[in-house]
Amino acid sequence: MGPRILRIGLPVMEKNDRLAARNRGLFEKSGLYAVNIIGSPGTGKTSLLEAMARVLGKSLVVIEGDVQTRRDAERIEKAGCTAFQIETGGACHLDAGMVSKAAAGLGLEGRGFEVLAIENVGNLICPSSYDLGEHTKLGILSVTEGDDKVLKYPSIFSRIGILVTSKIDLLPHVGFDIGRVEAECRSLNPDVLCFRTSATTGEGVGDLCRHILSERKRVLRA
Amino acid sequence: MHEYSIAQDMIGLIERTLGARRDLLAVTVTIGPLSGVSPESLRFCFSEIARQNGFGEPELLVNSAPATIRCRSCDLEYETDDLRGGCPSCSSHDMVVLSGRQCTLDSVEIDEDGR
Repeated sequence: MGPRILRIGLPVMEKNDRLAARNRGLFEKSGLYAVNIIGSPGTGKTSLLEAMARVLGKSLVVIEGDVQTRRDAERIEKAGCTAFQIETGGACHLDAGMVSKAAAGLGLEGRGFEVLAIENVGNLICPSSYDLGEHTKLGILSVTEGDDKVLKYPSIFSRIGILVTSKIDLLPHVGFDIGRVEAECRSLNPDVLCFRTSATTGEGVGDLCRHILSERKRVLRA
Repeated sequence: MHEYSIAQDMIGLIERTLGARRDLLAVTVTIGPLSGVSPESLRFCFSEIARQNGFGEPELLVNSAPATIRCRSCDLEYETDDLRGGCPSCSSHDMVVLSGRQCTLDSVEIDEDGR
């Protein structure tokens, strides 16, 4: 007989993609627009969410992803919103299965939530390959990280729907060219929408929240 | 190192196809240049996870496929492995990615004699 070839022809992440589609259906049924937030450790993901909590109030619900500790969920709860902490125990990214369990743990239906933010593990590489069931990916880059990062990490910056440049209150103290970052991101991804925020002063956060709420309306109407 | 998780997903799909069989000679995948998956890392992780799951040392064959892009300025469809270049005809970066993000498990080769 000898060797025989069996055709499979399936996406390797077929299981993840199936769970992600199920998550998206559940989110929409619960009236939620879901945003997958991706950035380096220390870029200000949780601070942005705290600032968004001040604008969106209890309509914001958050799934937090970290390797270890409930620290971020505690910060979100202190900001007045419901949060669920995923501790990956070592994994460098969230997957749709983890988010599905977190969503079940939260109980999303009938609680008046409108926006689900999923804060991914701090990392610009691994999370980019995983659909969690979100409606858009939000990439966040702080002015203290340097303005040369977009083309170094094309996988994530070519897939995001929203680019947030964070910590803009620190701009006078660092040499950071926001125009370069946004132009390089648009060169990979012409449809990306760019926002500039400071979680400290609140600048730009209202505009970002208004955009997310108008996208929610558009998606849920469809 | 998300390639470790991806290699685990590959083993899951292979076990779904082969059941309890372990006479795996080779595995073929196609990795798009925009997939965010490193073929070298995947090779390393797959060899380790295959061994741990009793598959020995199957060969991992990686096909590359170029990304296909449509230029929204001049409508040209072109192939590339790097989005930075823009449209080869009009230089525009106003583009849509048609393919190139895939990571597909194409086929497995088994040894009918070794069964």
